[in-house]
Amino acid sequence: MSGDRPTQPPRQDDRREEAREPVPTQAVLLEPRPLRPALLAGTRIGVRTFAEMALAMVPAYFAALLLEKLGVIDVLSDWAEPVMGVMGLPGSAALPLVLACLLNIYAAIGAMQALPLSGEQITVLAIVILISHNLIVEGAVVHKAGMNGVFFSLLRLAAGLTAGIIVNLLFGILS
Amino acid sequence: MSAVGSFLWEFLRGTWDLLWKMFVIIVPIMVILEVSEGRRWFRALARGWARLLRPLGLSEETATPTLVGFLFGLAYGGGVIVRDVRRGTIGRRQVFLMSLFLSMVHAIVEDSLILIAVGASAVWVFGFRIVWAGIVTLLVGAVATALVRRHRKRRG
Repeated sequence: MSGDRPTQPPRQDDRREEAREPVPTQAVLLEPRPLRPALLAGTRIGVRTFAEMALAMVPAYFAALLLEKLGVIDVLSDWAEPVMGVMGLPGSAALPLVLACLLNIYAAIGAMQALPLSGEQITVLAIVILISHNLIVEGAVVHKAGMNGVFFSLLRLAAGLTAGIIVNLLFGILS
Repeated sequence: MSAVGSFLWEFLRGTWDLLWKMFVIIVPIMVILEVSEGRRWFRALARGWARLLRPLGLSEETATPTLVGFLFGLAYGGGVIVRDVRRGTIGRRQVFLMSLFLSMVHAIVEDSLILIAVGASAVWVFGFRIVWAGIVTLLVGAVATALVRRHRKRRG
């Protein structure tokens, strides 16, 4: 948050012709490039980005899986149960929510289908889960992008729950 | 198999799933971007998308990472953010605003469809989430900007 200046001065770039002179803003967007160098550069950048993201995400995935195996999901679900009512959801909906936050949407959907939820409840839970999921791994991604991953993950949790409360209220008004 | 063994096995399988999928998506995205950025149709697309995001305080240079993240997922948008920060085309304030927006809404197709498939309302899942992403980006962005400004003023 230090103004609109780049975090670092333009460094050695992936494309050599640019590396010789400093890159003016937007230059990347303005010049069309010949096909072959573009294909090569794209592959190189893709592999490099993949490696960087993988290095951030795999340890985070390890941590998330470890927390699950240590029983953290059950503990958090017990905590979350009383809170679910403010979103018009039964306490049992805490399990898919916690699974989504700690692991991912797919894990949450499995647990969701075991619950007797109304159509509106499914929509509320879906919106919360869509905003707040995979917080550990995606927190690592945001961290890699140069922001505070913990802040953004907590923000997503808060924003997701707030959205759930609002949608539930809107359903109450509209029906 | 022992508990540790089965844990490691699950970790390896999960890592494999995560990595091959990411590789198969991220390399073609970067190749397509390198080939298309700068071409007329891509610039028109980026400009149109940037116009939609301008009210949130996002500049035209953020069009590519936000579009990739919005469509495909946070990890891919994040990858393009890392690329563009390295190139020096976007600053910290823009990265912060993009992270806000993409935190609230990303992988709009895949994530939304699997929840619509289990019974969620498509109108609410798409409509509300996009509106909500705008509200959160504006609110938190404004608060953060005010805090930074005050902090700077105090330090002189």
